[in-house]
Parts: sequence; structure tokens; C-alpha cells
Amino acid sequence: MSESGIDAERRSFNVWALTPSLIVLFAIAVLPAIYLVVTSLTPFQLTNPGSATDFSSPLRNYGLLPGDPRFVNSLLVQAKLSFWSVLFQVLIGMGLALLLNVPSRFVEFARTFFLIPMVLPPIVVAVIWKLIYTPDISPLYYAAQALHFTMPALTSSVDFALTAIVIADTWEWLPFTFLMVLAALQTIPDEYSEAALVDGASKLQIFWYVTLPFIMPILVISGMFRLIDSVKAFPLIFLLTSGGPGTLTEVTNYYAYLLAFDTNEIGYSSAVTVVMLLLVCGISLGLVWMGRRREALA
Amino acid sequence: MKNASRKSSITSSITRRKLLKASAASAALAAFPAPLIAQTKPFAGVTLHGASFQHRFFTLLQKYIPEFEDQTGMKVDLQLSSFPVYNQQANLELSSGGSAYDFVNVTFILAARWVAAGLLANLDEFTGDANLTPAEWNPKDFVDGAQVPYRDAKGATYGYSWEGGAMLMGLSRMDLMEKKGLKIPKTFAELQQVCAEINGTDGVSGITSFQLHHWNLPPYIQGFGGNIFRKPPGDIMPTLNTPETIQGIEFYANLLKSAPKGVLTYTEDQARQSLLTGRSNIFIHSSSWVTPILLSDESKVKDTSRVVRSPAGPVHDYPASNSQGLGIPKNAKNKKAAWEFIKWALSPDISMRLVKEHGHSSICRRSIITSEAYRKLNTVNGQDLGALYLEVLELPGKGENYMAYRTVKEFPIVGDVLNKAFEQVATGQLPVKDAMNAAQDQAVAALRRAGTQL
Repeated sequence: MSESGIDAERRSFNVWALTPSLIVLFAIAVLPAIYLVVTSLTPFQLTNPGSATDFSSPLRNYGLLPGDPRFVNSLLVQAKLSFWSVLFQVLIGMGLALLLNVPSRFVEFARTFFLIPMVLPPIVVAVIWKLIYTPDISPLYYAAQALHFTMPALTSSVDFALTAIVIADTWEWLPFTFLMVLAALQTIPDEYSEAALVDGASKLQIFWYVTLPFIMPILVISGMFRLIDSVKAFPLIFLLTSGGPGTLTEVTNYYAYLLAFDTNEIGYSSAVTVVMLLLVCGISLGLVWMGRRREALA
Repeated sequence: MKNASRKSSITSSITRRKLLKASAASAALAAFPAPLIAQTKPFAGVTLHGASFQHRFFTLLQKYIPEFEDQTGMKVDLQLSSFPVYNQQANLELSSGGSAYDFVNVTFILAARWVAAGLLANLDEFTGDANLTPAEWNPKDFVDGAQVPYRDAKGATYGYSWEGGAMLMGLSRMDLMEKKGLKIPKTFAELQQVCAEINGTDGVSGITSFQLHHWNLPPYIQGFGGNIFRKPPGDIMPTLNTPETIQGIEFYANLLKSAPKGVLTYTEDQARQSLLTGRSNIFIHSSSWVTPILLSDESKVKDTSRVVRSPAGPVHDYPASNSQGLGIPKNAKNKKAAWEFIKWALSPDISMRLVKEHGHSSICRRSIITSEAYRKLNTVNGQDLGALYLEVLELPGKGENYMAYRTVKEFPIVGDVLNKAFEQVATGQLPVKDAMNAAQDQAVAALRRAGTQL
């Protein structure tokens, strides 16, 4: 059989092998997404029969979005939350990876220990932080009291509510960046740092000129992944602050949830969700573009 | 051979006996066919589909359902979901004219919309038929205030209430109050004073509350003469920035200055726990959340507690109350069977068993609440909790239905805006007037977005 014949056969096999998965993916991901877009073109309200099929003004919901202060605020809150939590996750994750990148049994145990928050179900993480942030039952508050230090109620404080979410989110997800950076660090050949050491470079210089250029692509990629994922901070918001106080921690997906499940505005909520989906797709495309550019440069 | 002949004689005798029995049964059936069937398993083969949100009432009822199935021959398929999930499902099912359910919970906050839109069956057709409803079932026995949400403008009934919530005030540290010479507050002004004076004494907070502000706040707003809407259910223009509403919001925000740290994010359980352990002196909420200070084994303050009517405002004395009902969707397939279930579930007999066997007190039948057995179980330290409960539950049925704001379909949207605005006020993000002016604009915009004509 000719080489192109083998290729065609392999392609055909791949197509057939992938078909069931593609059908399932289409049914559980693409169809609901299409339905979401269709719904966003209606004024669908659960309390208004017939509104689900009213396409008389399809762009009405999208036209209302820029004038909705809570929607605009939710985007800003999301941007703040994503920026700070991703920044901390990358920096602390990198710091931990540098500290734990040494061959030792204790360090191996410590690495496993640091991975725990990431493998816990998100709702468990939210409950843990709810306990920590609740003044009358929290060990944090007992400790503060013992030290004669007055702590405000973090989750209902104007100054700390968002920070409280950032801390919990960082705790939950920094193992991801830690793991990625650690893997990258272990691929750096020792010769480079040894040569730099012989040339008299300080540890800081070795990190800056040798290690950092090596791990930079991983830092960027893991940061981008976390950025995409950061819009999923829903359980923390739901359990810790309910978007409050006021709208200080109300991120876009929580606002969409309130619209759909509290006030029954399914059509409008779908429009909010579609905008969110587009933003996440934009970031994902950016990630793909960066990956391709890096490959081209290499 | 001997054996064979004995066998044959037994067979023939059984056959004769069977034949005689069968003949007698046939004769009886021929004489009284329908009544005999009706008295045995009138709904044999019917599977009744019902739905509600999860609640202790249904958990208890499920224990008795096998008895009902035995009596009627039908199977009951009762689906229980969480409150928001059930409401979404039921809304969708009823709005789309589905027939998946034979009976449903008529959720208090959705009742007016479902009744007005004609999504439920008129239950007067069942209660008015003596063949379907015996006189002793007595529909008028249900507390009127609890029944208001399930009636249309003409007075027809679309649901019967299985649960009532009546707002009461629990005080856990009467010992501290007596030491300070403080009396049980009867007015808003006295409430403010008691909370401020107790707060911090012995590490006790003056008052506790929880994050569902659109339940906690309206009695204060109404107490000062304000409301959530101009005149619900007819006129649903929001009234979030009137001087009376602003006064109510300001008052409640000041009151919470005597509450535990973090009270704005407290859940109902946290608030109840705070009261039960005596860490907070006052909690004003539905009776089932407040009365455990006297009734629950968990309570550490049984000896120093009181449960009383919540204080009256300078203009109105409007403690909140609510109820949940059972109804039949208009397009239900088995309406008669569904009515049989509702009739049974809300019968005096089952209601009394729930009270006696499980201490379940949020019943809406007057005859049960005023019965000796109920009184005996719900009188603690000389306090007749049943009388208090009944008094508050009755109020919306007397004169103006001041709870109407909560049963209009626009409430969830305006309630959500009110929640956010109150938090902005309580945390000092905005002055009360600015917050409420913004809230009014947002509520109007959100209602218009939802297609409401204002």
C-alpha cells in the first residue's frame, strides 16, 4: 500500500474513532451553547408564558447591557478579582516552586501537601473559608482576640470583602501554577546555572538571567489558564459574600445566576452569559495565538 | 390408588367451596357494584405525581404516605427539590401548560402570579361537592390570613395552606434585661433602646439577624408607613425612596449596629444559633426559627427566654407572615386523585398526628392550633406560643392585606435591588437617600426590562 494510502486509512480511522466523542461533545456543549445564544435573543421570563419564543426585538437584551450599572460593575469586579488572584497565584506559585525545587524526601512530602487545596471540591474550599471568615466560630478570630487585636468581619467589610475572596481563590488555585512552574524548573539543565556560578553571578542574577527566561513561557501560559478559570469563582462568591456587601463582590457569573434563578430573567441572563462566553473565548484565542507565535519564534 | 382417590376428593371439595364463594361474591357484586369498589381501592393503578421544595412537613408526611396508598390504591410520586430549583421547575411547568404534576406546592411568593394567570385548578369545585369532600374536612377551618394568597379577586380558592410562618420576637437574656431594668420592647423606639443597652453586656449582642434583608426589612418599612410597592397587587410601582421607606431602612441599619460582627452575611442558622446560645438577645423571625429558644433541647437559654409579638411601628403594627399551599395544576391528568391527596395531607387527622407525634407546630388549621393537645405542647413557661402564632398569621386576612407586596410577581426583582441597597447603607458605602434613590431607579429599570408596565 502506498504511503498516501496509509495516511488516508489512518485519517479515516481517526475520524471514525473520534465521531462518538464529537457527537457527545456536540450534544452536551455546542447545543446548549446554541440554545443559550437563541434564548439571549428573547425577553424570556419564567413568569411570562410565551416570552421564550418572542424574537420581535432580538438585540434588545444586548442593547440594555451597557446601560445596566450592575452588569458594568460586575465586569469591573471580575477584572479586579481576576487580576489580583492570578497575580498572586503566579507569584506565590513560582516562589513555592523555587523553594521546593530541591531533591529531598521532606520537600517531596511538602509538594504533595501543597497540592491539597486544588484537589478539594470547590464547595468544600468555600465552606473551609466560610468557617475561617465567620467571626464567632473562626480560629482566626480567636487568635486575634487572644492577641488583643480587633479584626473586622472580613466578608461583610467594604475594605476587605473582595480581598477575602482573592485570598481564598489564591489558596485554592496556586497549586496549579506551583505545579506548572516546578515542572518547568526541572527541565532546566544544571549546566547553565553552574556556568553562571563559575562566572561569579549572584543567586539573584542566576534567577533573573537564567531561570526566569526558561520559566517565563510557563508563567504566562499558566497565568492565562488561570485567567480563563478565574471567572469560575462562583462557589466562593455564593457562600462567602453573596456578591455583597452591596455589589462589591458581585462578579458577572454571579449576576447572571441572580438574574436567572432569583428574578427569573432567563433571556437577559443568557445575554450576560453570552458576553462572558465571548470574553473567555477572546482570552482563549489570545492563548492559542501566543502559543503559535512562540512555536514560530522557536 | 388410595392416595389418588383422596386427592381427587380434596380437589373436588375445594372446587365446590371455591365455586360457592365465587357465586356469593358475584351475587354481592351484582347487588352493590359501585359502592363496594369505591370503598376499597378507588384509585387503584393511578400514580400521582406531585412536587414541592424540601421541607420538614413533607419529610414527615412521607412517613404516612404508605397508609394513604393502602387506603386509595394509588401510588404517590412526590419529588422534592431545593427551594429555588423547585420554583424554577414549577414556573416552567405551569407556564408552559404542562401536565407532568397532579399536585404542586403553591409557593407563597409565586401564588398571586399563578392564580392570576389561571395556572391552577379552582378547588371550590372539589370542596363544593359533598361527594368529593365531606363536611368535616371544613375548608373554613384554615386560618384566613394564611389563605389570602391562594384566592383570586372573586374569592375562589386555588390552594390550601400546609405551612405558616408568623414573625415573632425571641428574647434570650431576660436576666440581663431585668438587671438593667429593661422591659420587653413593644415599639420600635423601645426596641432600639433595649438593643443598644444590652449590646456588649456580658459579651451579648443586642440583636441578631441574617442576610435575607428583603424578608427582615419590610416590617420596619411598613411600620413607618412605607411599602415596597405603591399599592400591591394592583399598583406595583416601587416605592423604595419615599421618606417612610428611607426611615425604615435607616432604623433597621441602626438596629444592626447592635448585632454581631458579620451579621450581614449571617445565614438563618447562624442567627438562630446565636440566639439559642444566648450570644444575642433578640431575634425577630418566623416562629419556627425563634421558638426553639423555648422548645429545643439545643437551647442554653430556656430559663431566661421569652417569645412575644414583634414590636409595632409608629404608624403600623405589621409583623410579616407567610404560608405555603398545596394546589392542582389546571392541566393535571388526575385532578380527583390529587384532591384526594390534598384532602388527606391537610386533614385534621394528619395535622394532629404531625403535632402530637412530631411536635410540628406550623399547621394552618385553626381547630388544631386552638386544640388542647396543641396548646399543651406549645405552652412553655406559661407562654401560649400557639395563640401568638395564630394572632400573627391572622393579621393579613384582617383589613388590608399588607403582605400582598410579597406575592406579586415583581417582588423578586425589587427585593433583590432592596437587598443590595440595604447592604450599601448598612456598610456606609452610600448615604441612605442616595442608596434608595439609586435603588428606586434600578428597580424601575429592571421591572421595565422584564416587560412590566408601570
